[in-house]
Amino acid sequence: MSETTDQPVVETPQGAGKPDMIVLEGVEKIYPGSEAPAVSQLDMAIPQGEIVMLIGPSGCGKTTTLKMINRLIEPTSGRILLDGKDVTHVNGDQLRREIGYVIQQGGLFPHFSIADNIGVVPKMVGWDKQRIRERADELLHLVGLEPSVFRDRYPRQLSGGQQQRVGVARALAADPPVMLMDEPFGAIDPITRDRLQDEFLEIQRTVGKTIAFVTHDLQEAVKLGDKIAVFATGRLEQYDDPNTILTRPANDFVSDFVGGGAAVRRLSLLELSRLELHPIETDEKAVGNSNGSPVAEVDASGKPVSWRHLPGADAAGVALVTVPLSGTVYDAVDVMLDGSASLVAVVDEEGRPQGVLHWNDLVSGLRTRERDA
Amino acid sequence: MNFLDYLATNSQQIVFLTQAHFLVVLIAVGIGSAISVALGLAVSTGEPDPRRFSLDWFATGIREGGLVFTAALLTVPSLALFALFLPITGLGITTAIIVLIIYTLYTVLRNTVAGLTTVDRAVLESARGLGYGRVRRLLTIQLPLAWPVILNGIRVTTLISISIAVVGAVVQGPGLGILLLNGISRIGAANSFYQVLAGTLLCLVVAAVFEIFFAIVQRLTIPRGIRV
Repeated sequence: MSETTDQPVVETPQGAGKPDMIVLEGVEKIYPGSEAPAVSQLDMAIPQGEIVMLIGPSGCGKTTTLKMINRLIEPTSGRILLDGKDVTHVNGDQLRREIGYVIQQGGLFPHFSIADNIGVVPKMVGWDKQRIRERADELLHLVGLEPSVFRDRYPRQLSGGQQQRVGVARALAADPPVMLMDEPFGAIDPITRDRLQDEFLEIQRTVGKTIAFVTHDLQEAVKLGDKIAVFATGRLEQYDDPNTILTRPANDFVSDFVGGGAAVRRLSLLELSRLELHPIETDEKAVGNSNGSPVAEVDASGKPVSWRHLPGADAAGVALVTVPLSGTVYDAVDVMLDGSASLVAVVDEEGRPQGVLHWNDLVSGLRTRERDA
Repeated sequence: MNFLDYLATNSQQIVFLTQAHFLVVLIAVGIGSAISVALGLAVSTGEPDPRRFSLDWFATGIREGGLVFTAALLTVPSLALFALFLPITGLGITTAIIVLIIYTLYTVLRNTVAGLTTVDRAVLESARGLGYGRVRRLLTIQLPLAWPVILNGIRVTTLISISIAVVGAVVQGPGLGILLLNGISRIGAANSFYQVLAGTLLCLVVAAVFEIFFAIVQRLTIPRGIRV
């Protein structure tokens, strides 16, 4: 572990250039009556506008760490800086009003209407009624709930997924620069969870908050995180971008945690959008260049229908299969096996080709990464 | 003279005693509930950390001690308690109300503590996380959510008080106990049974009025989002 106090433990290219919004300096938590620290000498910096996923087994200190950021749990020692300001000793209640907080199942107040739930923090910090009402409607819209339908309802009239959206809206209400999320999607069925995660990323693209997010789900960590912090019994084992965590685990613990031996499992964690794809051509002029890129025949709407030319192969004998860019390498492999094709065209939401993934690239790519690790 | 004749002849006295009975119970339950709810709120804590000494320990001590003490008071026979207060507060309404207040304490305190501690922890945690201070959280989140349970305690204690208030007649406390006591002491004499019957039936009427009263209070004070 790094002993420096004002640098992130691991510098990553993504973090460079952005100021650090949340900085933990030598933060330690020893619960009363317990010998071993729950979190020991933690140094961590979260750059502005990034989502950092805190992950690890139960009792690893990830939730303690999250709750020390807004001082729901008071650190035993160390310093917490928020946007450069030391908040280790400021009034905790005031501090928490400036930090969004979302917990599992939203933790909505059952006796408040949805609009009132969203308005709690603005009300506490003294916004006028009109502004609070407008803000609630705006946020309901943002999280995909029709204000006229939902604003006067009560939490028990909403499904778990809807409650969770309101929970996110409530955390965003007073426009805090920082959001803390404690397994917000943990108790939600997998299909709804997947959709909520997508919407969450969509919202984050709009609001650009600095987010610390506790999860126990590696899939979720890889999907949502700009960075992942892997914890083990109070220590930060690795703090890096998802790709590095997966492909170059820092030690045996992280390697075990991400399931280092299971190469197939890793496929489902690698999103196609995170990979460097081979170019694909749809232009007729590309024909004849035998060393060039694959060329696909497209229909009127720009969707590829068949291969016109494949470098070093007979285009007519290979079926053209596609996989959406939002899928994972696992999906791509599935499609290739299914269509007996040695390559797959990766397409965007409109079905237009974005690139090509070769069976061989995939295998050699994985092999290369294993050698790196 | 039949029962209806009896009622007609003595209607003025009967109506007066019924009103007095209602008011004595209302005052005693009102004061007793205010004390119990206030105490329950004051000593409500999170769960005190068993590994560390803090103020929460005192609150917990007062709470548990208070529950044991008021429970013990509840088991003292009402006749005895009225008699015990006689030398201190004398005959009349003061003694009657003090004793009734003592009997309301346990039920309301117990329900207040139970109501406050059973509020969903996730709700309380999110309130803390959003910057609710302790007092604000207690008054705007915990109390409204515990209110149905507390109100139920008050309702139960009211019904108990209606019957205990009858015994208050032994210290010349106002209410229907006067009819009953009078009737019982002259049992066999003219109209004595009618007196007992009237006292009993009107206690039921008082109870019915309180039930209607509580139904309205419940409707008005329980927040819409948690109404069942």
